[in-house]
Amino acid sequence: MIEPLTYFWLLLKASLFSTGGLGNLPILHEDLLARGWATERHFAEALAVGQVSPGPSGLWVISLGFLTAGWLGAVLALVAISLPPLLVLAVERVYNRTGDHPAVRGFIRGLSLAVIGIFLVVLAGLMIENGLDIGTALIVLGSLALGITGRVPVVALLALGALAGIAFY
Amino acid sequence: MYTSTGSTGPASPVLEDGPEHPKQASAWLLLRVWLELGIQSFGGGTATQMLIYRAFVERRRWITPDEFTRSWAMVHLTPGINLLALTVLIGWKLRGVIGVALSLAGLLLPSVSITLLMTAIYSGVRNQPLVQAGLRGVVPATVGLGLLMSWQLARPLLAASRREGRGSLALGTLLLTGSAVASLLGTPVILLIAVAGLIAGFHGWRSTSASGDDA
Repeated sequence: MIEPLTYFWLLLKASLFSTGGLGNLPILHEDLLARGWATERHFAEALAVGQVSPGPSGLWVISLGFLTAGWLGAVLALVAISLPPLLVLAVERVYNRTGDHPAVRGFIRGLSLAVIGIFLVVLAGLMIENGLDIGTALIVLGSLALGITGRVPVVALLALGALAGIAFY
Repeated sequence: MYTSTGSTGPASPVLEDGPEHPKQASAWLLLRVWLELGIQSFGGGTATQMLIYRAFVERRRWITPDEFTRSWAMVHLTPGINLLALTVLIGWKLRGVIGVALSLAGLLLPSVSITLLMTAIYSGVRNQPLVQAGLRGVVPATVGLGLLMSWQLARPLLAASRREGRGSLALGTLLLTGSAVASLLGTPVILLIAVAGLIAGFHGWRSTSASGDDA
């Protein structure tokens, strides 16, 4: 059973210790799967909805909240992702005093690179959970190739994936 | 602060120290501009960032280009969603606390409602066989996009490392691959992220003091 307070803290923690809309994914993935409060499938579904829906890509967390804990989960997720960006006001104060120090830039860069590395592992986990075969491998390559061109809208890409899935399985 | 009426004569103006650009950015106009941005914000962060630039810098001139660039740098030092941090900062510059609330509400109201609506509709049909088959195809498509996104995020970081020299580039590549391997081995994510940040931060700090000595 999901405890709302702990659930909220996990959501908040993941956003507090990461940057960008998808940076919180590795931490959330670890924490929620460990407690059995979300499944790989929930993550896959939430990411897909987040890609299609408007707004910052970070809104996928709201979708995850809804899928795992209903309306309460969605509201908790909305609050949890809205709070950390407020810290920009504190950052501005410090930044105005100390300027753009290379150590700070280095810290953020190292943190971001680690998140990307872990993100790749999470993606691999999603693939394995979903069933790894020639069909799914082809879809990955296809969406990567079409994505690189930058001309196919994300919605169309995911719709093509869905059609391929219905055709294959 | 309180004003007592009648004690200081008829025509005493109430002086307030407000934000620096209050002239045209009234509360309602600010909310309207952000709502418009929220409705148009299909296509993720970069597209929306461009829309924000056009609306606040080019069209209304409430923010100067320099201010925007500085804001964008600070946004990347802030935890959480970059676009929301930018929204908070612009709202604060224009109208203080109320500006922050209105800007966030304007940007989020349309997009959050649509996200919720889509999730609710989806969760109503998620157990039908046809939807499950479709999802088996959608997941790899999302993974493909995720790979592309990882590359797009990593490229500028590695490019910046390369400009600093071969050592920085090697360190950057090592942090990227090393954290992937460490995470496979079961290292807690927060620990990994913190250590990677500290290593790169220390490297940045040391390289400046080193170049200071050389010069």
